[in-house]
Amino acid sequence: MALGSLDPVTTARVVLILALLAGALFFTFVSMVGVIRLPDVYARAHTASQADTLGAGFGLAAVALTLGWQGASVKTAILLFFIFVTNPTAAHAVARAAFEDGNVPWTEGDERR
Amino acid sequence: MSDTPGAGSDVDDAAAGSGDASDAPDVSDRPPIEPTYSGHDDRPHLSQIQRQQTPYTESQVIMSTVKVVAPFALTFGLFVTFHGADSPGGGFQGGAIAAAVVLMIAFAFGIDATREWFTNVVVVGLAVGGVLVFGGIGLVGLVDGGTFLEYARLPIPHPVKYGMEGVEILGIAPIVAGVLVGLFFLLAAGFDDRDGAGTETEIADATTDDATTEDDR
Repeated sequence: MALGSLDPVTTARVVLILALLAGALFFTFVSMVGVIRLPDVYARAHTASQADTLGAGFGLAAVALTLGWQGASVKTAILLFFIFVTNPTAAHAVARAAFEDGNVPWTEGDERR
Repeated sequence: MSDTPGAGSDVDDAAAGSGDASDAPDVSDRPPIEPTYSGHDDRPHLSQIQRQQTPYTESQVIMSTVKVVAPFALTFGLFVTFHGADSPGGGFQGGAIAAAVVLMIAFAFGIDATREWFTNVVVVGLAVGGVLVFGGIGLVGLVDGGTFLEYARLPIPHPVKYGMEGVEILGIAPIVAGVLVGLFFLLAAGFDDRDGAGTETEIADATTDDATTEDDR
């Protein structure tokens, strides 16, 4: 499907969808690198929660824009709302459990682990 | 284990605390350590070791979120279950989501409290009841002279549709939910590996003993 054959509104919409998807992929990739490379559980929990906030946010926005005005878009918005509610809580639970277990945060100068 | 207040720097305390935690100490044998005040000013400051001794308090953040999310998650589980016969979804997925709600409540409000609320009778009842319903619906066709699970022979209106729904909703979903919750409770009780593999009675003892450190986390 060539972009030139579409009307301007549809073209703008497709471009916006692609931009949102690119943003979702970028933030998810950054978060993935962080989960692999950051030194301790607290830093990893923080970057893992960013993947959902920005990555899933942009991704679901792209989905909603693709679907247009229909019932499924409302479900997408509800899904985004629950991700925004539960994701920080999950990160909080992980960090709290690690601290409760006596996990010492990594500080500058410590060895990488 | 140093009981003296203010001994060592914070870093030493923290390091000792983490090493202590990995050794899995039996807290119940030790006398409780009174919270002491240490640090360079008069502000109360619990060292890492002392903080490990304090009983675990449930997180206000997690409890509030679970209170809000749990009804929606259970509704979603039922939604997925009821859609099983003619669209994506089904008893397996819906039962797993319903079991995840119980796990979520256990993480937020404590596993022992959840075990008292969602008793073993309910867990076993869900699994066994599901098996009985599944077998019962299946055997109706067999008794009527047909084959196992032949929905068309059920004595109800729209037998194929409602027979399949009955197997999904009343059969598979409770089985999956009950088995998953039961496995979670078993894992949470921990395994006594001091003298070989844990037996049934040891696991049962561990579930009733709420003084162990494992259950507090």
